[in-house]
Formats: sequence, C-alpha cells, structure tokens
Amino acid sequence: MTQATVELSPSRRRSYRALEPTRRGNVLRWAGLSILAALCFFPFYALVMLSLKPERALDFPASLIPWDLSTAAYERILAGQNILVWLGNTLLYSLVSVVAVLFLASLAGYAFAKKRFPGRDVIFWSFLAMIMVPFQVTLIPTFIVLARMGGVDTYWGLILPTLANAQAVFLMRQFIGGLPDELFEAAKLDGAGDLRVFFTIVLPLCKPVLATLGLFVFLWHWNDFLWPLIVTQSSDLWTLTVGISSLQQKNVTLSSVLAGSVIALVPIFLAYLMAQRYVEEGVTSTGIKG
Amino acid sequence: MIGFLFVLPAFLLFLVFRFGPAIAGVGLSLFDYDISGTLAWKGLANFQRMFADPVFWQSLRITVIFAVCVPLSIALSVFTALTVRRGFRGSRFFRSVFFLPVITSLVLVSSIFIWIFSSNGPLSTLLAPFGLTDSWLSSQVLVIPALVIVLVWARFGFGMLIVLAALQDVPRELEEAALVDGANAWQRFGYIVLPHLKPTLFFLVVIETTTAFQIFDLIFVMTQGGPSRGSYSLVYMLYEQGFKYFNFGYAAAIGVTIFVMTITVALIQRRFFRER
Repeated sequence: MTQATVELSPSRRRSYRALEPTRRGNVLRWAGLSILAALCFFPFYALVMLSLKPERALDFPASLIPWDLSTAAYERILAGQNILVWLGNTLLYSLVSVVAVLFLASLAGYAFAKKRFPGRDVIFWSFLAMIMVPFQVTLIPTFIVLARMGGVDTYWGLILPTLANAQAVFLMRQFIGGLPDELFEAAKLDGAGDLRVFFTIVLPLCKPVLATLGLFVFLWHWNDFLWPLIVTQSSDLWTLTVGISSLQQKNVTLSSVLAGSVIALVPIFLAYLMAQRYVEEGVTSTGIKG
Repeated sequence: MIGFLFVLPAFLLFLVFRFGPAIAGVGLSLFDYDISGTLAWKGLANFQRMFADPVFWQSLRITVIFAVCVPLSIALSVFTALTVRRGFRGSRFFRSVFFLPVITSLVLVSSIFIWIFSSNGPLSTLLAPFGLTDSWLSSQVLVIPALVIVLVWARFGFGMLIVLAALQDVPRELEEAALVDGANAWQRFGYIVLPHLKPTLFFLVVIETTTAFQIFDLIFVMTQGGPSRGSYSLVYMLYEQGFKYFNFGYAAAIGVTIFVMTITVALIQRRFFRER
C-alpha cells in the first residue's frame, strides 16, 4: 500500500504540471491564435485603411498598405450627408431606451420577485414566454398597431415598442429575487413606502446588474436595424445603421460609406473597451445574447 | 396591490406591443389586410398560397442551410475556448479580439465584406490561380459560403465566452486522474470535457439556430436576397411581402412559420435534456 503511494506520487506531481501548457504548447498556441486573431481583425483593419484611401484604386493588396492616406472621405461625409443627424438619432434611440428599459424592468422585476398580487405568476410566465417569440414574428402586427396610433415616422413610435423587453424583466427579477428579504422588511418597519424602498434600497443594490443590462440594451439599440428601417421614413429620423445602408444603395463612393461606418463603430468600440468586464460577465453569468 | 401597480407600466407596453401582436400575428395569417384597414377572411388561403409558392420553398431552403451551418461556428467557439483556456499570457487579448465582432453591427461592416468578396478584393486575388476570380456575392454557388463566413466571424466569439464559462466547471481532478491513467489530450477531451460541456452546447445550438432562422440584416445589406434568390431567407421574404408588396396577411403566415420552426427547435432541445 505504502509502496503504491510512493510509486504514484512522482508521476502525479508531473501530472499537475502536464495540464498546464508546456513551453512548446504555448508557442503553438500563440501561433495558432495569432493567425486566427489576424483573420478576425482583418475586416476592421481593411475598413479603416480603405476609408483613408478615397477615390483611388481599391485593389488588393495595394489598398491595404498604410501609405498615402487622406481624410478626404471623412471630410466629405461629415460635410455632405446627414451623418451627424443620424448619430444624434442613434444616441437618442439608445440612451432613452436604456434609461426607460432599466427603470421599467427593475420596477416590474422588484414586484415579481418580492411582492404578492393576484395573477402575479401568470403575468410573469406570459412575460417569459415572450422571450421565445422572435421579434420578426410580431413585426407586421406591431407595425400595424403603431400605424393606427400614428407612430410611424416619429421618435416615440421608434422607441416605445422596443421598451417591452422580456429579457430585461426576467434578469431583474432573478437578481432582485436573490436579495435578502430582511432588507426590505427592516425598511418597511421604519415606515418607508414601497416607492421609497424601491428607490433607496432596490435600485442602489442593483447597480452591477443595471450596468451590465444597460450596456447590452445600449448595444442592441445601437446596432438595431430592421425596426428603425421600417418605422422611420424620412432621412431626418434615420439611425446610423439605416442611414449608412442607404448610402450603399446610393451613388456614394466606397470610401465615404466606409468612413461613415468607422464613425458609427467608434462609440461602440469605446463602450466595449471601457466596460469589457461587464460585457463578458454579462454573457457568461446570464447567457444574455450579444 | 402595489405590486401590480409596479408591473403595470411594463405590462401595458407588453400588452400593446408584444402579446397583442403575437396573437394578432397568428390571427392575421388567416386574413387579408390592406393599408386602408379592411380585413377580409381568407381561412387557410395564405398558407395554401405559401406552400404552393416556389419562392417560399427557396427561402426555407436558404434558412435551413444557414441553420445547418451553426455547428461550424460552435466548433470554432469550442476550439478557441479550449485554446485560450488555461491562463497564459495574452489570453485576455485574444478573447477581446474574438469577441469584438459579436458587438459589431453587421450593417456597419457589410461594405467592407462586400469588398472582401468582390472581384478586386483579397479572396478573388488570392484564389485567382484556382480560377475563382469572380465576386463571391454574385455567384449562385459561392454566395452562401460567403455569408456563412461572415456569420461565423460574427458569432463564434459569443459561443467562446459561453464555453469558457462552462469549462471552469469541469473538475480539474477528473482531468488529472485521466492523465495519470495515461489518457491523451483527445481522450481527455472526449471522455471528460465534452460530456461536461453537453448542456452548454445544447443551449448554444438552440440559441444560434433560432438566431439563424432570423437572419435579415446581413442579407438586406449584402445581397438583397440575390443573385436570383440565391440568398433569399424567410425573414427577408417576410420583409418584402410585408413592406414592399404590402401583403400583410401573407407576411404574417410566413411569420407563423418562423415561429413554429423556433418552437420546434426549443422542444427538440427539451426532449434531449430529458433523455439525458
């Protein structure tokens, strides 16, 4: 018995190390990952390079060499098109939606998690079921409802239907459900009303989940395409995605379209860089769809 | 009762913009509706028309092809997750690069992908010795591979993060024990890691398959369903029928079809889970 243990221990000690990458393994990994990363990043690189080479032959590979660059395409698109209006619309669409979705979802999530009222479970399950119904399926009736209400080609018509976010309500209910009841009961005993409890206890405790959820709602709206495409008709109301896709179909040089795309991508990349941890945690801990 | 008041704002929004339209969507597929607001009962005529429409079968075929390609993206997710797994220098950097496309709007990068697949882009230039000099997007054969490449590029980073999280739950002792027993890397993956990843992979397959059923943006900006309907998806057909030809009833019938497909995938997944 003792002998067996003695025999096993050196090999086992080696085994601990063997699961860690070896030097040679690490070099191989680096090489493989670098190639993959280069392929993955290539479209972004080409996007920036070609946007800086206006009115020139866009042949590969000459167009990708960082040489003889000019910002003419950026000047042209900033001067000639409605891109700043679209940027403003996109900011409005995204930011208003973030604030409203977070507020509505935490209010509803709090009630679903900690309050008792008739029909609570039925309502919650019907919310949950809506996660399964793809947005495209309800697209036509939602549009008809909105058209009847006179919301086509208006800001409120663009924003209001997107505030019914089942995933957000579900996430907030899960998170608030995990908070200890004693906190709310203590506040109640001190005579705090429900609204006061919500604003002074629930919301501050929800900060981390609100940050993550808010970031995703921002991303979804910034990148949203089909809904703004259908609801907005005049170019003054277009978002960046709709506006830039319209440039593609018009007689605009490729470099101008690319310059517009870069302008539209920068805010999202900055948001990601600043809040990378929240984004990654949001995906891994909640399975929220990127 | 105060609880109900808290739910009320969200509930009203859901009633008007989600529940209502979901029920109306099914109902509408049995009617004809035009912009002036007249409803005409059609029974199952919209569905009969759909099943007799070769365009519908083409768009269903294209949509299913996209869905069938989902495992490609998931395989790449698993591969990259395993590679960046055990902390080594640069792991965080690679993770960010692979995740960047996930948060990027496909509409905004479509122009550069059109260039990449064009006849003076890098792919045609590099593949010229093999005779592939034409634009991929105007070829009946290559348009789907081109779009699948973009979709894999756009989605595998999401799966990678999900798989990475699941890998943390694989007991280290098991892997070490297998190592002591002389299992090689492939065996350790097949007998220990993969069984632990199974539920995660099912989750990914369902979420990515239903995403594939809903492909629209990419097709709208890159091919408009072309060439000659070679990339015409179901949601693209729904969009054209609804907002180009204003056949709202017919478009709703296509919507019901997409919904049935989504539910079917979810139910199949549940069955698999129960059997496990």
